[in-house]
Amino acid sequence: MLKGHLDMIVLAALAAAGSAHGYAVIEEIKQRSGGAFDLPEGTIYPALHRLEQAGLLSSRWTTADSGRRRRVYTLTKAGHRALAERHAVWRQFSDAITGLLAGTRPRETPA
Amino acid sequence: MIENYLEQLGRELDFDRSLSRCVRQEVEDHLWEAVAASRSGNSHEAERQAVANFGDARAIAAEFAVVSLARHTRRAGIAAVLIIVSVFIAMKARVAWYAAMQLAISDDVRAAGRIVITIDRYAFLASVVIGLGGWIYIQSRQIPAAFDPAYRRQLRRFFLLCGAAAVALVVSVISDAVLTALQLSGTGLSAEFLVPILSMAIELGCVGILIFRIRCVAQRAASTAALTHT
Repeated sequence: MLKGHLDMIVLAALAAAGSAHGYAVIEEIKQRSGGAFDLPEGTIYPALHRLEQAGLLSSRWTTADSGRRRRVYTLTKAGHRALAERHAVWRQFSDAITGLLAGTRPRETPA
Repeated sequence: MIENYLEQLGRELDFDRSLSRCVRQEVEDHLWEAVAASRSGNSHEAERQAVANFGDARAIAAEFAVVSLARHTRRAGIAAVLIIVSVFIAMKARVAWYAAMQLAISDDVRAAGRIVITIDRYAFLASVVIGLGGWIYIQSRQIPAAFDPAYRRQLRRFFLLCGAAAVALVVSVISDAVLTALQLSGTGLSAEFLVPILSMAIELGCVGILIFRIRCVAQRAASTAALTHT
């Protein structure tokens, strides 16, 4: 289920962090989700490349304080639009499920 | 440990050297940053943890390979359209040269020439329509996250369209070669032949590049499939 929403999660983290490299994006996701999303960290990078290819992110290489080459990603205008669209769809879905579950209680199973 | 992991990741992506290099640098930065942030006092343990958290190198490489394949497929679509346009320009340049030099097909081969012109026209038209179709098709698809059956179907359709466009273009270029031979037959070799021969060389080169591009994408698709399945 998480994989299906990975693009939205990455876009949201980058929107919050501004320009960020992969490690910072992962940290942002962990921090904002309270550590709820525990996926292999390496999965974020192909998603970043895919989103860049789709024109939702742009990237540039910089040099980190450590002297290593670092790739920094930023949301493009199309990325901001895509995030707003996904946000609206998610809210609609979430409201619908909340309405559906309102007044119901999970049946307790005997121990 | 990190070096070994990077070596493995680089090896898995070896079919795309620039991707392999770029991914290696990006992942190296991530892993060392994770080690630096680790609260474990043991550096060996911190490296082991960073690599474990990053995930299986082969699985990560497979995801990168899909993104790379999508990029190259789209580029092949653009290349197909540009190649068809180049063939058209070469064709028109040759015809304009014939008009300027007042060169015409001799009467005894005129009937055969008409048939070849018809074949050439329809084959080229087919390559334009199918090539544009292939390009629009692949550009309009979303970039896939996995090498799943839906993406495989998408690739098959793209290869079918590109292959058909290439076949039509080959027929058109062969017809052009026959027409050029008919046009120049019976006349002595002179500097006037330079433009027709050069334009034919350009057309043949363009067809060669198109076939090469399609073959490269097919090889890449095979590498991605191998990486995904094993």
